[in-house]
Amino acid sequence: MSTTYVGALELASGAVLVSAIMTLWRRQVRSIVTMLSLQGIALAGVAVVLATHEHDKALLATGLLVLVVKGFVVPGLLRRVSQLDPNSRESAPLVNVPASLVFAAVLIVLSYVVSSRVTSFAPTVATHLTPIGIATVLVGYFMLVTRRRAVSKIVGLILVDNGIALVTFLLTSGVPLIVELGSSLDVLLVVVVLQFLVVNMGRHLRTNELAEMKALHD
Amino acid sequence: MALLLLGLGCCVLAAAAASALPRSWRVPASAGLGATGCALAFVAAMRVLVTGGVESFSTTRLLPMFGLTLSIDPLGALFIVATSFVGFAACIYCIGYARGELQSRTAMSLLMVFILTLLAVPVASSIVSLMFCWELMALSSMLLILTDQRHSRAARSAALWYGVMTQLGAASILFGLLLLTVHGGGQTFADIRLHSMALSSAVRSFAFFLALLGFASKAGAVPLHVWLPKAHPEAPSPVSALMSSSMVAMGVYGIIRVGGDLLHGGTVWWWVAVAAFGAVSALYGALHATTSTDIKRLLAYSTIDILGLVLIGVGAAGALYDTGHPGVAQLAMMAALLLVVAHAGFKGALFLGAGSIERSTGTRDLDQLGGLIHRMPFTAALFALSACSIMAVPTLSGFSSEWLLLQGLLHGFTDRSTPTLIMMLVGVVALALTGGLTAVAFVKAFGIGFLGQARSPGAANAVDVAPSMKIAMALLVIPSIVIGVVPGLLLPLINRAATTGLATAAPSPVERGTSLVLTQFRGTIEPAALFAGLVLVLLIVWAVNQRLAQRSARRVDAWSCGRDVQTPRMQYTATSFAEPLQRVFADVLRPQSDVEVTHVAESQYYEQSLMYQNRVSDALELHGYRPVIDAALRIGKSARRIQNGSIHRYLAFGFVALLLILVVLA
Repeated sequence: MSTTYVGALELASGAVLVSAIMTLWRRQVRSIVTMLSLQGIALAGVAVVLATHEHDKALLATGLLVLVVKGFVVPGLLRRVSQLDPNSRESAPLVNVPASLVFAAVLIVLSYVVSSRVTSFAPTVATHLTPIGIATVLVGYFMLVTRRRAVSKIVGLILVDNGIALVTFLLTSGVPLIVELGSSLDVLLVVVVLQFLVVNMGRHLRTNELAEMKALHD
Repeated sequence: MALLLLGLGCCVLAAAAASALPRSWRVPASAGLGATGCALAFVAAMRVLVTGGVESFSTTRLLPMFGLTLSIDPLGALFIVATSFVGFAACIYCIGYARGELQSRTAMSLLMVFILTLLAVPVASSIVSLMFCWELMALSSMLLILTDQRHSRAARSAALWYGVMTQLGAASILFGLLLLTVHGGGQTFADIRLHSMALSSAVRSFAFFLALLGFASKAGAVPLHVWLPKAHPEAPSPVSALMSSSMVAMGVYGIIRVGGDLLHGGTVWWWVAVAAFGAVSALYGALHATTSTDIKRLLAYSTIDILGLVLIGVGAAGALYDTGHPGVAQLAMMAALLLVVAHAGFKGALFLGAGSIERSTGTRDLDQLGGLIHRMPFTAALFALSACSIMAVPTLSGFSSEWLLLQGLLHGFTDRSTPTLIMMLVGVVALALTGGLTAVAFVKAFGIGFLGQARSPGAANAVDVAPSMKIAMALLVIPSIVIGVVPGLLLPLINRAATTGLATAAPSPVERGTSLVLTQFRGTIEPAALFAGLVLVLLIVWAVNQRLAQRSARRVDAWSCGRDVQTPRMQYTATSFAEPLQRVFADVLRPQSDVEVTHVAESQYYEQSLMYQNRVSDALELHGYRPVIDAALRIGKSARRIQNGSIHRYLAFGFVALLLILVVLA
């Protein structure tokens, strides 16, 4: 097992988690979307590194698919939404930024504790990195809960999906291409629908802070 | 079996025709196909009853994984005979009756599916097949109740009650039957029959009681009956007829099939429970029938009453079989089955009659009816005949079957164990008391509805219904007369079904021939001779009357008692007719009455108007079910506190739950 492979895999996986934490740190919605784009590229990097190590062409195709959809298409769509209100900021998240970062650290520790059992079944380089995937899921979920802007919530949702994808890559060397295709297109569809929703919401309610919506109207 | 499958196929075609054909062709075509299907099923079932064989059929094409297993034996065949007869009549009735909502694609095809499933339930011979047909039967009948939901709030509420009760019942049955397979092997009835004796008695009892709860609820046994007096009146009349005469009988079928056939009899206590359900239902149903003023509600309560008597018979049969008296047991079982068949005939005819009344007067409220005998004489005659039958007037089917049931119970006293003694005693008393109460209810239904003067413009201007509706009613009166006058003709067939239900091979306790002669006990009755005597007496009365009528006749208003002015408001109403009984049984019925008096402004000694309102609601529903429903609603409402509309909070719930699970796992 070459040290290049180990190093590359660790770097790419680490980049996924770091970009997740960066989304918690940044306030400007545009830079949050940029972080998401970076994460998509890092995730594709994980798939490509695994594919070259295992000479798996299907996995390589999956990696390229991830690169296109999660690295460029989805963030591109979100960027278009955020350009409607270029200065929109995550001005007052429900949990402030320093506290969020501390909490993220707690979540990372928790995911390491939880996944110690999983890794002990098949201790390889890839499985040792699964806590990173679980931590990404938790950080994404945390973002979904605490951020007010609609776009940041969508980013949180995609973080969760990316985390799940990372876990599947690391544990099973990727799911069949058709499944990955399905889930990627699903995410794309969700983003398109949400984009439509956010734009309309902004037009009708003059806000995209979800905290201000508490009652259903006819 | 091929013939039966052909019949079922005809019903499928009928449902397809109902959903595909244009409006003007839809009803005659699907009703015709449905009637053909019923006729084929009738012939097939009759053949099985006469020859006594068992025929099976199974396919894996129709239901995935488990396949459909059908098998017809004499017990199932008897229920098919009763159902297909009523189904045939209901199809004929539809040709004249279907109008408006019932003419729609959905309603007609659902009706055909309902008939199909009613014919399929008694032949389904694996758990999956049975539950499939059972649920389809429940679903189609529930949707049929909603046929008229656009105009009737009551229909919506009735469907909801029915839906909830039938789903709980089905779950209970399914759980009970599954318990039998977990230990016994396969899920076909043949497998269960083979392995059921190997189960521990606790498991068998638990399974039986679970199934009993479900089947008893379908048979309208008190206190699981609440859906029945709501659902039967709200359904279109041919559907009510099918529900009341065939669908409730499926509950009885289930109890006999599971307890007697699959579990080989079990213990005395099982059957004491069945008979207890029966006795309570018989009395409660009969009492409520006497006080109901809605004619279809009255019929629905009387269904609870008669099915109660059937359950008493089944319970007595099972208990006597277990205590080692197969002869009497067979007699009681035969009586119960004969009563099921007789009930299918007369209750079907009565519900169709009620449908005709509703169609021509626009109301089901007895207090708005009256004088219909002049307006619709044919319907009146058939209604009277069926009412006489349900009142157990001699030489009609109700009498033969209840006489047989009474013989079974009385000879049951040969067993000296306490539970059976109490059971027979309670059974005899219930039979006697409900006989009287049923007579009151149906004298009221006929007297107030058809005799006297019209109480509303609708009743005064009623026109007689379409010929097909009369023919259908007339068809359903035939069994009342045949079983009443020559019961001996049918008894060998009933005996075959009873022996299947009890798994015995004992000879028939009733002699062959036209009359009823018990072979092992003293008891003989000659309905044919009685009938001849009755006809003779009627002829003599008629002749004497003719003689006397030659003197000049004086014409006065009917029931005017010599008064000059007789208005419809001076007659008895359904409410006032039942008032004495309502007073006697006030503790059970819990009637609510309000009197509101408005005085003239100047003096409080003179009344301007007086309003009297009297309601008899189902006390069990009010005091047994309402508190449970209210509690459930309260819990549901308190759960709304968690829900404040903030999306962050909802997301946080998910997140916290996920973290908790992770922490617990770690």
